[in-house]
Formats: sequence, structure tokens, C-alpha cells
Amino acid sequence: MSTRAESDFALPKRARLHLGDLALRGITGAAALTILIVLIWIAYKVTEQASDAISTFGLGFLTSSEWNAVTDQYGARDLIWGTAVTSFFALLFAVPISIAIGLFLSELAPRRLRGPVGALVELLAAIPSVVLGLWGILVMGPFLEAHVEPFLNDHFGWIPLFSGTPSNVGLLPACLVLTIMIVPIVSSICRELFDSVPSDLKAGSLALGSTRWEMMRSVAIPQVSGGIVAAVILGLARAMGEAIAVSQTIGGTARTGWSLFGSADTLASRIANQYQGAATHLQQSSIAYLATILLVLSLAANLSAALIVRRIRRKLGAR
Amino acid sequence: MQRFRRSALVIFAAGTVVLAAACGSGGGTTTVTKNGGATPTDSKVLTGAGSTLVYPLVSQWEPDYATKAGVTVTYGAIGSGGGIDQITARAVDFGASDAPLTADQATACKGCLQIPWALGATVVTYNVKGVPNNLHLTGPVVADMFLGNITSWNDPKIKALNPGVSLPDTKVTPIYRSDGSGDSFVFSSYLSAVSPDFKSKIGTSTQPPFSTGTGAAKNSGVAASVQSTDGAIGYVAISYIAADGLNQALIQNAAGKYVTPGVDGIKAAADAVTTAQKDGSIPLVNPPASAATAYPLSTYTYAIVPKSSPKASTIKAFLTYAITDGQQFGPDLGFPPLPSAVVSSDKTEIASIS
Repeated sequence: MSTRAESDFALPKRARLHLGDLALRGITGAAALTILIVLIWIAYKVTEQASDAISTFGLGFLTSSEWNAVTDQYGARDLIWGTAVTSFFALLFAVPISIAIGLFLSELAPRRLRGPVGALVELLAAIPSVVLGLWGILVMGPFLEAHVEPFLNDHFGWIPLFSGTPSNVGLLPACLVLTIMIVPIVSSICRELFDSVPSDLKAGSLALGSTRWEMMRSVAIPQVSGGIVAAVILGLARAMGEAIAVSQTIGGTARTGWSLFGSADTLASRIANQYQGAATHLQQSSIAYLATILLVLSLAANLSAALIVRRIRRKLGAR
Repeated sequence: MQRFRRSALVIFAAGTVVLAAACGSGGGTTTVTKNGGATPTDSKVLTGAGSTLVYPLVSQWEPDYATKAGVTVTYGAIGSGGGIDQITARAVDFGASDAPLTADQATACKGCLQIPWALGATVVTYNVKGVPNNLHLTGPVVADMFLGNITSWNDPKIKALNPGVSLPDTKVTPIYRSDGSGDSFVFSSYLSAVSPDFKSKIGTSTQPPFSTGTGAAKNSGVAASVQSTDGAIGYVAISYIAADGLNQALIQNAAGKYVTPGVDGIKAAADAVTTAQKDGSIPLVNPPASAATAYPLSTYTYAIVPKSSPKASTIKAFLTYAITDGQQFGPDLGFPPLPSAVVSSDKTEIASIS
């Protein structure tokens, strides 16, 4: 009721009668509705296809590591693990880099440099993932195997993450390819966010004697922290959902282990690899089950992001 | 201003109507062609999808059949698994797969025939610094490498097969297909045939559950992975060996010969086994010792067609062309011609399409 009263108040009566406005409302509303319908439709179809696997394996699917097309036994544990590890490390690498790029482009870079550098970063996002994956397997993988991984193993081999034999495919190359894919998204949003901080706030902080870094740390970043969280979640969704580039670089072996050098597989990569031409009906259904898990995970990530953003807003408002 | 808005709306609405009409007439055109076709066949267009292995051959058939029969064949090399899915959904007129349909796939396809229409092979490839091309291997040794029982390239079992070749102690890294693949099917059914250990631990599948090594997507992924990994052993479709300059292993056949993968070896295997299974497939792996020069990882690749189709006569004519006149393009591209016994059993199958 109250929203209705507000909108009545906001718009003069004559304006509401304009055919153009009505059409605008209809077209934009239809566009929003289409997305909603498509989303619900996809969720319904995926769960429907997964129903046989859900009734066969139940929740045990989540904790079973078996994935065997010969004995027709499937489980998602190793794939959930792979998705979690790749997404976590991709974010761990990408977020600081993205925030740094955002700060550099909005606060520090000479004005003449901002356009070209910004455009180059965004150009990264335009590289097709299959090309990034190929680069990952042909160029980055061998480099990591020959130089980076032996170095990490020699000096930090006591950390489980860096134990094991160096390899040109595995978790580390997959994490790095994902990092490259996330950085353009998160950094361009961060840049917009930092640009949106009122310049009198920044100038005020500097006038009080802050260094640039103090100004960024105490004014710019807190001001937009909610937006940064939202950007990070967008990056997370990208990392969890990326299939092709990951399937090319991760080694496609379902496995749970701490070593970043070893092969693994993710939910999305397994779906991309095995949905087509699945050998049995149960396998196809199990792959749809994986897709259901992925949908639920993305939903959970988005909801928690919304909660975090709301909490931060409330905190800022209270101050 | 108001008038302008209204006219914009009218244009928008008109556009929608035109668009709808265009879509409608698009649908209509097909019907007209169907009804108006006075030729003996019921359509001038055939679409197919599936196997990448058979694509070089089909791409020769497309222009040749267009001039000979006036029928346009469009084939999408999207992979065997995709081909099975598309024909199951009847999104195409024929599918093509290197592995025969599994029981579940056959049920889902609701009365599909699988017709062997070309010959190919899977080749074991490797990349070990300092080791020359054409290394000798046996099925059980390859099985042990993929089971993790042989972990080093200077293992006595490999040395015994290759006197005079110096083998380094490089670690063996098996590389396999992480997607469903006809090559995985040929490879795992061969190893299951020659190694009881492999059969019980891994088994035969388009997606064998390998327990060691790393996966790579598609033939191109396996080729790239093998090339960039010292100590790698993998398997690819025969055409990738020459195309990517990969090493090939000569696998010992049942007669004890190390056979070079190629037209002659595949043809020898096909001549030795010509009887089809109940499902229409003809498994060629590990042919009997009587075929002395047979390559042991040979395979048929299949056309998959529904038993009843609105384009039945066009499909029948095209398939007949493919297994007879169409075979002439094969040898140059690495496909040996079909044995005559298979051509005649194919003809019986094709005749049953209605």
C-alpha cells in the first residue's frame, strides 16, 4: 500500500496516462519478467532432469567421491572440492589485484594513462575463455611446471599446498586462468566505485594531512566496501561457473587433495565435459544433479552477498 | 511530442507484426518445398551431426553428393556424444558416433539403427625426451602404464620390448580424455580385452574411470598435453598423429607383430571381423591372430539413423552412396574402404528404414 501511495505522489496524474510511459513500463517490465521466467524454467528443467539421480543417491551424492561410468556410480564430493579450491584461490589472487587496479586508475594514474590502461584491462574480459584455456595449457602450464612450481616446492614444500610433483595441468593453472578472467570484471567495477566517492571527501581527508594511502584506506575503500563485496561476488559467480577454460587446464581428474600442483575437476568443467553423450541415463541425471548443486551454490553466494552489503550499509548509516 | 511517441509505438508494433509474419513464412517455405518436390526423394536437404573422426570423409561427400543427387548434406562435426544427443532429440536427420550406442542410449534413441560406414583407428602416442618414434609396446604393458603399475619409462618390461633403444628413467604420465570419447571406448575395450587387471579395475567405457594420470578435453587437448609433458603417454584418433607431428607407438597384435597404424593395418582388421553384433556394431579391437597384419586398435565409426523418418528415402539414398561410391575418397584421407561383406549387411540395414 505504501509504495502505491508513494508512486501516486511522485508522478503527476497526467504523466501516468501517457501511452509512451505505459509502453515503456510494459517493455521494461516484460524484459525483467523474461529473465525471471527463464531462470525459473532453467532451475525447474535442471532439477527435473536430476530427479532420478537425487532419488538414487540422495544427499550421499554430496559426500561420495565415486564417479564411475562403468559401474554407474556417481558422487560430487571431489567436484565440489575442486570448485571450492579454484574459486577461493582465484578470488584470493584476483581481489587485491583488482582493488589495486581500481585505485590506480581512479586515484593515482596520470589522467592520460587512465583511458588506455582501463580499456586494456577490460579487453582481457573479451578474450574467449577457450582461447585463454589454450594459452593456459600451451604457454602458462609449461612455464609453471618448469619454473614456478619447482621454486615453490623447493622453498615452501613443507606447506601441503606446494607439495607434490610439478605438472603443467592442475589446480594452480586453473586458479590462475580464473584469476585472469575475474580481474577485468572486479577491477572495472572497483574503478567505478572509487570514482563515485565524492571528491570533497577525498580532498577533505587530504587537507587534514592524510597521505594518499591513508585517504584511500580510511575514506575511499570504506565508503564503497559494500560495492566491493558485490563485485567480488560477481567474480565468485564467474569463477564457479566457468567451464571451458577450467576443463582445459585442470586435468579433469576427480580428486581431493591439498596440493595445488595436482589435477582435479570442478562441477562446471565436469558438466561441460560429460553431459554430451553421457553413457547412461543415470549419468546424465547425475550431471544434472551437479548443475543443481552449482545453481544452489551460486544462489547461496548471491544471497550472502546481499546480506553482507545490507549489513555494511547499516553500519555506515549508523555512524 | 505526444504524436511522436505514439508514432514510435506504432512503428514498434508494426515491426513486431512484420517479424512475426517473417517467422511464419519461414516455416511455410519448408512445407512448400516438401509438397512441391517432384523428385523421387522426399527432401533436398539432409542435416547430420556428430563424430569429428569421420568429418574429413563427410566433407568430401557433401559437394560430390550435391552434384550427383542434388541433395544438400550439412554435417556438424560436434563430437560423437553431441551427435548421439542430437539424433536422440531428432534435431538432425542422422547422427554419427565412433562408439556404438550404450544400452541406455539405444533405449533413449527409440529405435535407431547404427550403420558402420567408415573405418578408423586410435593410436597410442607418447612424448619422452630422447626416445625415438615407433616405440614397441604391448597391450598389457600399456594397461600397466595406465593402471599405475609401470611408473618409469626405463621399466624392464618396456626395455624388453625395445632392445637397443635407450630409455630414460622419466616418470610415466598417462593422459586420457576427460570428455566422453569414441577413442576412449576403443582404447579401454582393447586394454580390457588383453589385460584382465584393466578389465576388473577400469573396464570398457567412453569415459573410463582412470585412477592415475591427468585428463584433457578432446583429441586436441590430449595432443597438446602430450606434447607439453615429458614422459607422457596418451591416445588420439589416427589423423592427429600426422597433423600434430606426434610419436606413434607400434602395438603388438595377437599374431605378435608390431603394426604401424594406417590404412593397411586397419583394413586387415576389418577383413578379419565382418559379423555384426546384435546391436549392429562390429567391434574390431584385438582381432584374432589369423589376421597377421591387423592393427589391434581399429574401429568402425557409425551413422546413427532413426528406423522411421519423414525423410526416409533421402536418408536411404545418401547412406547407400556413403557406403558405396563415397568410399572412393577414403584411402587418400586414411580411411580404408569397407569390406564387401559389411557393405552388403549395411544395405540390408538401410533397406529396413521407412
